[in-house]
Formats: sequence, structure tokens, C-alpha cells
Amino acid sequence: MNKRRLVAAVSVAALASTMAACGSASSNSGGDDGGDDAPIKIALIPPTSGALAQFGTDATQAWKTAVRLANEAGGVDGREVELIVKETDTDPATTLRAAREAVTQDGAQFIGAVMTSPENAALNAQLESLNAMSFNALGKDDALVGEQCSPYAVHVVQTSSMDINALAESISEMPGEKWAIQAVDYSTGHSAAETFKAAAEEAGKEIVLEQYAPLDTTDFGSYISKLKNSDADAVFAVEYGADGIAFVQQADQFNLDQQLDTVLGFNMVSEPLFETLGDTIVGYYNNVGYDVNADNELNKEFVEAYTEDHGSAPYYVPADNFLAAETLFAGIEEAGSTDPAEVSEALRGLTFDSIVGEVTVREDDMQVLRDSYLGKVAKGDGGLEFEIVANASADVTTPEADPACQL
Amino acid sequence: MNTAQLLNGVALGSLLMVLSSGLAMIYGLRGVANFAHGALYMSGAYIAYSVSDRVSFWAALVVVPLALAVLGVVLELVFFRPLQHRSHIELGLITFGLALMAERIVVLIWGERTLRVTPPEFLQGTASFLGVDYPAYRLAIIVIALLIAAALVLWLRYTDVGLHIRASSQDIETAAIMGIDVDRVSLIVVAVGAALAGLAGALAAPYIALDPGMGNAYLITILIVVVVGGIGSIGGAMVAGMGLGIIQTVATVWSPSFAVIVPYLALTVVLLWRPTGLAGKRVS
Amino acid sequence: MTTTALPQDDVSPTRTQRPGRYGRGRTTLIGLAAAVGVLLAGLVVPYVVTDTYRMSIVLDATLLSLMAIGIGFLARHLGLISLGHGAFFGVAAFAVGVATTNWGWSPSAAVGFGVVAGTVVALLMGVLVVRASGFGFLMLTLALAQALYAINVQPSMREWTGAHDGKLLSYDRDLTFLGLTQADVMNPGLFWPFAWISLVVCATILWLVGRSRFGTTLEGIRENEERMRFSGYDTFLPRLAAFVLSGAVASLGGALFAINSGYVSPDILGFGKAGDGLIAVLLGGFTLLVGPILGTFLFVYAQANLNFGGNLHLFTGMALIVVLVFMPGGITIGAQKLYHRIRRGRR
Repeated sequence: MNKRRLVAAVSVAALASTMAACGSASSNSGGDDGGDDAPIKIALIPPTSGALAQFGTDATQAWKTAVRLANEAGGVDGREVELIVKETDTDPATTLRAAREAVTQDGAQFIGAVMTSPENAALNAQLESLNAMSFNALGKDDALVGEQCSPYAVHVVQTSSMDINALAESISEMPGEKWAIQAVDYSTGHSAAETFKAAAEEAGKEIVLEQYAPLDTTDFGSYISKLKNSDADAVFAVEYGADGIAFVQQADQFNLDQQLDTVLGFNMVSEPLFETLGDTIVGYYNNVGYDVNADNELNKEFVEAYTEDHGSAPYYVPADNFLAAETLFAGIEEAGSTDPAEVSEALRGLTFDSIVGEVTVREDDMQVLRDSYLGKVAKGDGGLEFEIVANASADVTTPEADPACQL
Repeated sequence: MNTAQLLNGVALGSLLMVLSSGLAMIYGLRGVANFAHGALYMSGAYIAYSVSDRVSFWAALVVVPLALAVLGVVLELVFFRPLQHRSHIELGLITFGLALMAERIVVLIWGERTLRVTPPEFLQGTASFLGVDYPAYRLAIIVIALLIAAALVLWLRYTDVGLHIRASSQDIETAAIMGIDVDRVSLIVVAVGAALAGLAGALAAPYIALDPGMGNAYLITILIVVVVGGIGSIGGAMVAGMGLGIIQTVATVWSPSFAVIVPYLALTVVLLWRPTGLAGKRVS
Repeated sequence: MTTTALPQDDVSPTRTQRPGRYGRGRTTLIGLAAAVGVLLAGLVVPYVVTDTYRMSIVLDATLLSLMAIGIGFLARHLGLISLGHGAFFGVAAFAVGVATTNWGWSPSAAVGFGVVAGTVVALLMGVLVVRASGFGFLMLTLALAQALYAINVQPSMREWTGAHDGKLLSYDRDLTFLGLTQADVMNPGLFWPFAWISLVVCATILWLVGRSRFGTTLEGIRENEERMRFSGYDTFLPRLAAFVLSGAVASLGGALFAINSGYVSPDILGFGKAGDGLIAVLLGGFTLLVGPILGTFLFVYAQANLNFGGNLHLFTGMALIVVLVFMPGGITIGAQKLYHRIRRGRR
């Protein structure tokens, strides 16, 4: 009996190993180029659940406006533009699956509205084999233009370094001599704190306290108590999303503002949160990526069209995604084709006019070079709004291209 | 270690105390680990948001426990009672399924955004207490939670219903034989337990921002509190809840990244050292 | 009281009451032959499902099934419901990430390392948890897995595991995984034989172990641990061995998953994924070996197709409740009972 079992097992193993050599490669069906009149297909993969769902919706709406305007003007390079809207839950595995589906089943050649940096990183690695280009207007991680870069991925939004450098530039614009740093215990929190510290010390300020709270902290009591006990007269706060709201709310309850001249947020206080945060944040500073009141033609046209389509004025998320669309269209026009490889080639080093002024796609790492701003929350006629206090241009804020990026 | 930090710990502990006493009651009596408790807490917070938005925060403090008690009654009548002969683990898993559904339903009704509830006027800002300027609202939470805990203990100890509850928690079959209407007692316990969860949510709303993940965030912590406190021991759960709140806050002051692991460490240590929990019957 | 509902009345036709080793041996051979047949049949799948997208779903389900059969094995033979198997799956995946990206190992060696790492974690966790049972066991596995998650996302771990961002695998393009290049290993059709063979072999091993004397010992422990001890059996080591075995199977799934997808998200270690895995097992039912596999395939399919606006958990929660209330034992047992009822009805 045992011998037979052994023989059976051995033959199974033998057969299995021979069969292992015979797997078959799955092919891509669909996704062919089509004729000269084939529409340009762009897949959007925003999150539709979780805390970022609102941003996902706003990003999609911006693309829709961009596509509407483009089609009304006769299309891009003579062709009609079509959007394919997918969904994800920000797990990179889901996003990759959606991307593959969009490319192989629906024939998309361009991808947008992918939200988080990890998703973008995972996607960047697959773009070449998918033969598609991605226009990242949301994920800010520096590594995306560093070791995770790809000639098929254009980084439209400012990187975290650009943002923080812009803030560091403007430290002297804000009152406060003794700064405390309250940051999220996360890579962006730490790098923002580093950069800020260096700039503050250079500007002659003193750092009296530096503390980090784990991501998803709901109770900031201990941190705020420490802030109150320190000598600080200004706070640099790097807390996102729900953490940021909890922090602002609890700081208010502890009356922390009373002893402070300045509260500077980094990606903490932004337009979508104005309503939730309320009047507590009047007077808070924050980095601003997009100036809705910017005085250029393209921007005015965009703001009008977006407000008409969606009922409210755009803020940085829709603006960055609209810019992504502008970048894509500029690339297609320049290349005279919709083949991702050719568009990628055309985009490297391209300069064009956009809603944020004249911008250039840096050829070393596909980063779009653009301005960054410092804003102060003020009470306007329609509610809270940002008053732009300072403006830093790309050559000041953008670090040198990372040598780890091998295009 | 100053007073403000200690008060922070007591505030968090008070919340955990109220939340876990409800869970302990249900577990003690029905033997079911109510995985939906976090969802009940979250529902309480969101309902409090809607009520305090339209009426007032005080109204919310009244409406929420009532609404959640109704939910508790539904839970008992639809799930716990008809399925009481199933294994406890199966019932626990059913509540797990309910929790998943409830969390999604909350999002469908209120959306994904983080919401904020402002406390009533006179509780905003700080008050002077024991020499420190401390948020008045947190002081209120501490006071209210301690009152609720005291009321609960007195109720269980000195009333007939309380006696029946304690008897049924100890041995449900004998209690039934002795003539106690176990079904009625059970109904009361589940309703009160759910109401406590909702009340904790309403109290927490101005303290912690509301977001769809809040149920899950606390669920694991309170399950740990109940197990550490001892199954079936409501007093044990309360003490463990307060203790864990204080220990975790103190740990946060010292090392925030370590503080996150404190509950898990506590559970492992306690279960290995004393499988019955600090004050209760055998865990399984 | 036992913790699981087993089919009390309906007896599966393959479980004959005939005594004697000849009967058991024959069933074992039939089972092995069936396994070989299934193995060979399954290898044909990529030729049938030629579309990359669908194939990747099938592949994902297969890899997750490895974790599921581990969970199912423990539930079936020891009556223990574990929320910790995500930890083994995840640790193995991250170990593969570290080995390839940080240490420059070849993918094949890395996968082996991943399996070993996951199994070691299973051993360590097992030592702590197998003395408990029922709810205590569940809580301990949950707490320890959550602790691992919390440690994993610490910023200090960033270099090793990528903390909250997850680990992107990178290794020399020349290195191959058992003959597949880096680009090919991510192609679901080409990777399929590895996943499928692993699943069938592991399932067969678990089945054989379950039918062996060791398996009977485990069931004795499940029924009444005290009695087993009084009868002279050591209960700690068998439980530990079973736990480690199920953990090793889950680790294999995790290691293969990592090398195939090229990216490991920290969520893999979280409560959500552990809960999903458990739901899949419960939906399929763990009394039969194929139950967890069926449940996992259903779950992955639902996730890919029914996740409109994040409503997946609404549906899975509902499905879980319905199955637990009306079909205890899962869909496979429900189907089996239906089949028997039809057969009896016909006579």
C-alpha cells in the first residue's frame, strides 16, 4: 500500500514538473491603435470609497470639464476625446487591475486621476509593459520622480519637496520666533519637518519642540498639552485628513491658539475642509498649490467652465487634474500622434501655456515645473477663502533631478 | 508627567469604560462577543451629529441612547434569541457581518467626509481644574462617564433586575430554572448595552472627529478591554477600560509609536498569565 | 460545547462506514488520483482564459486560497477560528520583498525565504496562542496580527517594509524565478502553473494529514481536550504542529503573491484583509476541503465585479449573515445537503 502511494506521488511530481514548462502567456486583447480618426481614450481610476472619495470625484469632474472644452474646440489633434471612468479603493492591487482592464478591454492609452503615491508607484512600474501613459496630478511623493520614475509617467502636481521648499522660502512672511513642529509620523511628516527646521534656523528662528503622532491618531490631547507647556509662539503642523481635523478641533478646545501668533499647516488646511473646520482656522497659513484667482485667460476660462459644470469653484485637486489634461493634450498636439511612446518623447522638455501660467515638463524626470504659493485663511463674502500671501517659482522650489531616476 | 496628561488619560479611559461596559454586559449574558459594538458606537456618534446639527447637543444625548436601545432590541429579537442554541463563535461572526453592513450603511447615509460636532457653548474652551487649564468638554466627559459607571454598578447591585442580570450572567440555565425570565433579562441587557455604546459615541463626537473608520478603530481596543477585564465581569471591564486609557495616554507621551502596541501587549500578557482575565470566568 | 456545526445527519458518500485499512487506503488512492487529475486539468486554464485581466483575477484567487485552506484546516480539525493567518501571508510577502530588494537575492531564493519566515512567525505565534481556544484564541490571533501590522507601519521600518507606503519589489532583471524572467513572472498566464500546483499540492497534503492518525488526534482534541490529556495524549504539540502547518501553507501563498504582484501593501497584515479571508472560508464552509477555495474564488470575483462605490462589504456582510444563519457549514455543505435531499426525494 505504501509503495503504491509513493509511486503515485512520484509520478505526480514528475508530470507536474513537465507541465510547469507549459504555461501560456496571457495576451492583451483589444487596445489596438485604431485608425487616424479613432478617439483618444483616457482611463480615470479615482478612489470611490474611503476618505479620499471626494477628491476622486472632484478629479474626475475636472477631467470631464477638460474633455468637454477640448471636444467643443474640435478635439485634440483632430480627434475626439473619450473618458473611461473606473474605480478603486486605493489598494494598488485593485488599481493595477483596473488599469489592466482599461488598457486591454477598453483600449485606453492614457491614465489619470490615480490618487495615492503607492498606487502611482505600482502603476509606474507597469506602464511600459501596458504601453500606456499616466498623468499623476495627486500623488506627491518625491520618489515618484526619483527611483520610481518612468518616461511614461508625467508628474503634474508639485512634489512634497517643492511644497515644503515653497513654505521654507516664506518663513519670514509669518510672525513667530519660537516654532514647535507637530508632524505625522510618516515619511512626508519627517521630510517636511527636516526641511522646515533647516529653513527656520537659517532665518534665525528657534525650534523649541518637535513631536510626531502616528497616522490615524484620534486623540491629540497629550501632544497639545505638550505644545501648551512649551514656549512656542508658532506651530508648524503636518497632519492630514481626519488627523488634521481632529488636531485643529482639539487644539481649539484646549485654547492653544491663544498663545500662538501663527499656525502654519502643511497640506492640513485646504479648501475642501473649510466648511468642516469652520471659523477656527481663520488666520491659519497653509501651502497652496493653486491660486483660483490667478489672473490669466486660460485660468479664467477654466474656473468659469468648471463652476458652470459642477456648481462650485475649483480648488487644487480639480485644477491639477485639469492641468494634467492640458499636459496630455499638449503632448498629443506636439507629437501629432496618440501613440504613448511618441507622446512621451514629445513631452520631455516641452513648454506650454496652461491655467497656472507657462510650465515646462522637465526632461530629466518628467516633473512639471510650476509655481507654489503660501496662503492665509480669510473670511470672504462666500465663506472662507485663501488669501495668497507669497509666491515661489519653480526654480526656487524644485530640487535638482534625482539621479536615481533613470528614464 | 503633569496633571493635564493624566487628565487626558482619564478622559480616554472614561470613554473606553462606558463603551466596554456595554460590551461586557452583552458578553456576560449572551456569551456573544458583539463585533457590532464598534458599529453601534459609530452609529451613536453619527446620529448625535445629525441631531445636534438640527436640534441641540443635549437633545442628542437623549435621543441617541434611545435610538440605540431600539437597535439593541432588534439585535436581540432578530438574532440573539432565535439563534441562541448556536455556538457563541457563530453568533459572534454574525455580528461581524452586521458590523460590515452597518459601517457601509453609515457611509451611504452620511458620506465619507470627516465630520465635526461642536460641543455646547458653555463647554467650549478651557476651564481651570486642579491648577491646569483643561478643555471643559473633556472634564464633562469624565464626570458623565463616572456617573454612568456608578449608576450601572448601583443598578446591578441593588435592584431586582440587576440581581436577575447577574444571576443569568453567571449561569443562564440555572437562572431560568429558578424562575427568572431570561428572555426579558436578555432583552434589557442587550438594549442597555447598545444604548451605552451609542451614548459613548455621542459623547465622543465633539471630542474626536467623526469618520467612517471610527468603529473599527475602537472595536479591537474594547474587545481587548473586555477580555483583559475578564469575561462576564462588568466591573472588571470598567477598571480595565480606565486603566488602558491611562496607560496608553501615558505611553503616548513617552513613545508614541510604542503606545500603539500597548493594547495588544496587554492582551497577550494578561491572557497568558491569567486566562480568565483579571477578574472573570474562563475566557472560552 | 463544540464550536462548529458539522453535518450531523447527512453522510457524504465517500466517507463509507466500512472498517479496515483497505477501505481507507482505497479512498486515499482515489483522492490522490483525483488530485492528479485536477492538477493536470487546471494547467489548461491559461489556454482557455486568454484574457490577462480575467486570468489575473483567477490567479489572485488561487494565491489567496492558499491562505484560506490554512484557515479552513484549523477550523475543521481543531475547531479554532483564526484571524491571524493574514500575518503569515503578509510576513512571507514582506520577507520576499526584503530579500529581493534589500539583500539582492534571486527571486527563487527569496520565495523560499518568505515561506520560512512566515512559518517561523507561525511557530512563534503558535507557542503563544494554541493553549487558548474559542474566543480567547480568536482574540489572541487578532491582537498579535494587529501588533505585527502596527510594527510594520512604523516609520523606522520604512527601509525594510516601506511602512505605510508598502514595498515595491526591485531586483536585477537578469534574475529569474524558477525559469521565469521578471516581466514574465508578473504575467498571470505564465505564473499560473506555480500557483495552481502549489494550491493542489498543499490541499492534498492537508487532506492527507487530516485523514491520518494525526488528524484524528486533532479531532479528538477538538471534541474534548481534557479527555485527550487524560488519555495520555500531549495536546500542546499536536495543536502547535497543526497551527504551524496551516501557517506554512498561508506563507507559501504570501511569498508567491509577492513575487507575482511586485508590490506588497501594508494592508495585507490588517484586520480588514484577515476578516475578508475568514469570511471567504465561512462562506465556502470548512467542513469540506474545497469549501475555503470556493469561498475565496467567490469573494475575489465579487470584489472584482460587485465593488461599485465600495459596497463590497455591504454584500459580503449580508452574504455572511445569510450563510451563517441558513447554511451553517457554508455553501458547500448547503449544496451537499441539497444534493442529498434531491437524491432522497427521487427514491
